[in-house]
Amino acid sequence: MSARAPAVSYDARNTLGHRLRILAGIFVSIVFLFPIYWMVLTSFKQQVDIFTNPPTFFFEPTLATYKEYMRRADIVRRIVNTIIVAAGSGLLSIVVGTMAGYALARIRLRGAGTIGLIILLSRGVPPIALAVPMFLVARKLGLTDKHITLILAYSTFLIPYVMWLMRGFFLALPKELEESAMIDGCSRYGAFFKIILPISLPGLLSTLIFSMILAWEELLFALVLTNRYASTIPVAIAGIAGDTVNGANWGALTAVGTITVVPVVIFALLVQKWLIKGLADGATKG
Amino acid sequence: MMKSVPPAKTDVSRSRWRDQVGDLFERWSFLMPSILVLTVMLAYPIFYTIEISFASFDIATFGAGEWIGWANYEEVIGDYRFWDSLQVTLIYLVIALPLQVTLGFGIAFLINAEWWGRSALRALFIIPMVVAPVVAGGMWRMILDPLWGIMNYWMGLAGISSLDWFGDPKLAMAAIIIIDTWRWTPFIVLIATAALLALPKDVFEAAKIDGANWWSTLWSVAVPLLVPIIAATFVIRWLGAVKMFDIVLAATYGGPGKATNIINLFIYEEAFRSLRFAESAAMAVIVLVLTMVLTGIFLRGSRKLEELF
Repeated sequence: MSARAPAVSYDARNTLGHRLRILAGIFVSIVFLFPIYWMVLTSFKQQVDIFTNPPTFFFEPTLATYKEYMRRADIVRRIVNTIIVAAGSGLLSIVVGTMAGYALARIRLRGAGTIGLIILLSRGVPPIALAVPMFLVARKLGLTDKHITLILAYSTFLIPYVMWLMRGFFLALPKELEESAMIDGCSRYGAFFKIILPISLPGLLSTLIFSMILAWEELLFALVLTNRYASTIPVAIAGIAGDTVNGANWGALTAVGTITVVPVVIFALLVQKWLIKGLADGATKG
Repeated sequence: MMKSVPPAKTDVSRSRWRDQVGDLFERWSFLMPSILVLTVMLAYPIFYTIEISFASFDIATFGAGEWIGWANYEEVIGDYRFWDSLQVTLIYLVIALPLQVTLGFGIAFLINAEWWGRSALRALFIIPMVVAPVVAGGMWRMILDPLWGIMNYWMGLAGISSLDWFGDPKLAMAAIIIIDTWRWTPFIVLIATAALLALPKDVFEAAKIDGANWWSTLWSVAVPLLVPIIAATFVIRWLGAVKMFDIVLAATYGGPGKATNIINLFIYEEAFRSLRFAESAAMAVIVLVLTMVLTGIFLRGSRKLEELF
């Protein structure tokens, strides 16, 4: 992707316009990154440094908020829960969704087009329309506050997502690949596992990571389907942010916010090349 | 699998039949797991919501009680709060979507200027995209705080008197749209970047040789080429925007008053705070139908645009 020069910037390299464009690009990036910088910075402040006017940029950093809040709000258990749910739903969805994406892209099936369209449309289903019945059924079956419930609930939006991205990915592969494999005596599954999956690995990986991130961030289902044992970090953040009784607890908010964001950002930056390519391909070729 | 077994001594037609069934089974087996999970977790809950929406809610069994026809719908449609909330949602969508798509493509143009820092900028730009929306809401609430927030401090430096971001209904909606735009524009930038890079270079060369200026090149060459992608991006963003919940919950909780009480938050409150499950189900069904119809229209519209250009 970076090998090709963008067609739009055909204008001469060193014109004033080009320089302005670079400067504007840098400026916009700073504007977009500042809020995160400010959150991370605030999380290392003491209470007296948070509530100041003018705001403080230089101060003695402290881990006090982290230590205090970790203990009080059960953050460690929430982190473990969030990891279990994100990994579980991500893996389930990537397996199931990739197979379906392959079927829609490559296998002739009567009615599959309709099914594909329905599943695509399901991306527009407002989660609240699912949250109400899921809560009632889970309560009846004694399945609230369990990891598996959340994992299955998340698969309702992750499977269609994976399916759609991977379908686009498979459509871009040359058809001869599995045809020749199947002529050589491979079964359809053999061709899928031995030929198709290995070349799709970058797309597969970026889709998996992005699915896990989506699950990691999810709030509504976690709010509705868990209360104590399987509760996740976003629920804790919503609790802190919505706590109007004790006023704004910005220390806690920024500390837990940083804990939530930093691992995901590191992960995303590590695989950013694949991530960008996978997402962009999925979006433009879908 | 079955094809590789030679049908040596068995009845030929029977084995062919078995081959066909086996083949059909194998084909569908790729799709079956998804269909299974989505039927249980997606289709069934939707049907259950529809069932509850036509019934009275029985608190004792915590399920659908007796069938009461359209009564829940009548009640919901007569409820001004429902309409207010729909209106709030509409305002948010009408402002946020075009804003984000335009900004996204504009910024993609800026950060793809050729220089040595380009790939770094592109990588940094995905960071806001992976910030949990609930964190984004909380974090911006701090930034926009009327007393201690850094935004009002900066605006004070620029000579603008401090704004009560979360006290004024219009400003609160503006705040929600700002936060949402901050969170989602990078996603559009990413798609737009791919689209810009895929533009055919020779067309631009030709335009340049023909003496087209910058503006007419943009307007009559680049934009028509980009229209299908812009339409597709709009649809993708729409599918996300109708789920708007986390940011509002963390930043304003629908306030001040009901000024930012987006429909998803309203239904959530009605169901899980007021325990009015039957009415909530009716509202959810209405919203579901509205969303589906609009999504269908947008999908068709974007196909049409693709054919036109």
